[in-house]
Amino acid sequence: MRFPGNTGKAVQRGTPRTATRVFKKWTVAVPGMIVAIYLLVALFGPVIAPYDPVATNLTDRLLCPGCETSSGSIAWLGTDATGRDMFGQIVAGTRTSVLIGSLTVSLCALVGLIIGLPAGYFGGLADLALSRVIDILIAFPSIVLAIVVAGLFPRGLGVVVVALSLSGWVSFARLSRSATMSTKEREWVAAARVMGVPARSVLVRHVLPFLAGPMVALIALEFGLIILGEAGLSFLGIGLPASTVSWGQSIASGKEYLATAWWISAFPGIALALLVIMVGLLGDQLNSRYQRGGSR
Amino acid sequence: MKKKPIPLVAVFATALTLAACSTPTTAPTDSPEPKDTFVVAPQYATESLDPHGANSGGIGTTHPSMMIYSRLIAPDENGQMRPDLAESWEPNESGTQYTFHLRQDAVFSDGTPVTSAEVVASLERLVELQGPASGNFAGTTIEAPDQYTVILKKDGLILLGQVALLFVTKADVTEESFTKPVGSGPFVVKELLPSESLTLVPNETYYGAVPKIGEVNFRWIPEISTRLTALQTGEIDATWGIPDDQVAALTGNDELRVEQVDTTLVVTMWFNHKRPAFQDAAVRNAIWQAIDFDSIIATLFPESGTPSLSNISPNVFGYSANQAKKYDPAAARAALEASGFDFGQTLQIQYKEPEYTQFLAAMASDLAEIGVTLEPVQKEAATWLEDFNGFNWDINFQQIGTAAYDAAQNTGRLYPCAADRNGYCNPDLDALLADAAGTADQSRRAELYAEAGAIVWDEAIGMFPMLVRTTYAWNANAKGFVPDPLLQPNLAPVSFG
Repeated sequence: MRFPGNTGKAVQRGTPRTATRVFKKWTVAVPGMIVAIYLLVALFGPVIAPYDPVATNLTDRLLCPGCETSSGSIAWLGTDATGRDMFGQIVAGTRTSVLIGSLTVSLCALVGLIIGLPAGYFGGLADLALSRVIDILIAFPSIVLAIVVAGLFPRGLGVVVVALSLSGWVSFARLSRSATMSTKEREWVAAARVMGVPARSVLVRHVLPFLAGPMVALIALEFGLIILGEAGLSFLGIGLPASTVSWGQSIASGKEYLATAWWISAFPGIALALLVIMVGLLGDQLNSRYQRGGSR
Repeated sequence: MKKKPIPLVAVFATALTLAACSTPTTAPTDSPEPKDTFVVAPQYATESLDPHGANSGGIGTTHPSMMIYSRLIAPDENGQMRPDLAESWEPNESGTQYTFHLRQDAVFSDGTPVTSAEVVASLERLVELQGPASGNFAGTTIEAPDQYTVILKKDGLILLGQVALLFVTKADVTEESFTKPVGSGPFVVKELLPSESLTLVPNETYYGAVPKIGEVNFRWIPEISTRLTALQTGEIDATWGIPDDQVAALTGNDELRVEQVDTTLVVTMWFNHKRPAFQDAAVRNAIWQAIDFDSIIATLFPESGTPSLSNISPNVFGYSANQAKKYDPAAARAALEASGFDFGQTLQIQYKEPEYTQFLAAMASDLAEIGVTLEPVQKEAATWLEDFNGFNWDINFQQIGTAAYDAAQNTGRLYPCAADRNGYCNPDLDALLADAAGTADQSRRAELYAEAGAIVWDEAIGMFPMLVRTTYAWNANAKGFVPDPLLQPNLAPVSFG
């Protein structure tokens, strides 16, 4: 189906259409590129800028961005209150954030699919119960749930992933349920059913592939929120242990120095904000593309 | 084309970044009435107002207790004993027995008179509950020949500094009585929210000068940056324990007075002697030796820290300097290897003071150099105490002071086997401490405590790297606020105008 606006009229007014196209292209390309840079930094950054979260160097504490350290190197983004290099800290934090984001989003997507797919396909009482559970969890503020769970257990990567997944799976379950419900009415699914294909195979071969698009869009959207959630928990001191670098912890450790050493909080804050915004923009673009694709 | 809304995540991201850059404090409201509430944000949270129980050793309990309860005697600003409940007192010749004559006009805030029976009951309760402060009265007996006379007896010298740590409550108190305790001090409790806030109002039946301030509020703010912002905005009127890094920002403010005082506090990091890893003194000394405390103190606490040479501070009776532990990571590593130390284990150091986070991070860094993993874990006061009492720690971080200015109250109270504060037990040390407690001769006592202190130091029962000075900052408009070396300033004389 074509959008009513995209008819001959637009072709006549060539320039605005081209401008819109270029703009649209860039709104996808720029966030995509920036997110790709973050991913590369997460993968290879610690190799280029090695960072030991335990080692401190008190003689180099609170150096400004661009200052020379006692070893003669330049601290491009300054150092923190225990003399740790902020650049290395941000690079190492990128890996942590991307790792937590990927793990959590995978767990959420998996749980959401496992629950949402059969619920949408078979319907019935289980579906009804599930829908109510989803309603309740959506009404509950997810960050509060995460704070409670993360606060109850000793700090660690696993706890953070579980705490953030507790409410994160809900949107995936809801999406996969509704997408399954509309897909199962399609002719090819009906045909497969009539031919006696077992339900499991119908789900995997004829329904699941059509969920991929919307799922990818949702993964991108959730990814940003999860990274933000992890930084929030670490900022509060209930996220990752001190031996793991995290942007949230870096931001928190600079709170006392905002007036004298702003760079401790500012640079990790910028890194975090940029990633979350770009992932959000990317997710938004994917979302609008696949929603259209889904209705085709 | 449909117009795209701004993604929600972008809004969240901006909000979080902004939130990280601001401190959540409320601005002071301009009230037409003159200020009549003095708000302090102390370093230590108040969990309980029971001055005899498990919290009895902590400043979070003793500081408000000084405002709420009477004591037989109390130290003035110069450390000299002044009358409180006792109008006068006299020792016997050897100083092993003291007779206190109580004032007859003292009443509890509920109107009942304070008599010798309450003093006896309070001391008995303190000893029976075996809290940290009970060690101050080990071997002490008490008699009440009449309603207004109390006699304390002990084999050794009775120290008035320790007597001043007995808070007098009503005779029939239970743990539940302390949600709204009844005392005979200058203030009464209006409200206690454990670890949050404590509101005190003047006790109109107080026998001394009734405080002129309308209300005193203890507010516990764990974050130092938040505490200092609150001080600068006028939300709180006094705080202390301010890290050196932050002092510069306060000294430029005309509304505030900033002052440093010597304390009796020594940074004390006990090893858990119930853990097999710390059975060997060589291991404990090696860990101490592996940390460059002199550099850490010089960079992180240039104004408020001095390397210590004892488990007590030099202004305390019984102090004697020991030989400094020399920083030598290579020797430390060799000693640990020789004693079969397990380098695979993670040692957890538990603390509650946020101003020491960098100190502990630097320690962890130094230990990592020789392959020892130290994990600093900051705990909330209540959890910290619970874990501490349950020996659920490897190394424990505290600042330990000596309120009575006498080693008997520190070395003598904390290190006998029976005290069981850190699991260390040494019959030789026990004998020395018992000897010191049973001696009235001051020079002999000083010798014995010096000898005992040397064992504590050489055996490395804990690490005692730093003497603490503390920085106070308070509202310059407040009158009568005097910084206190024991971190427990008397708030009864404070007023505005």
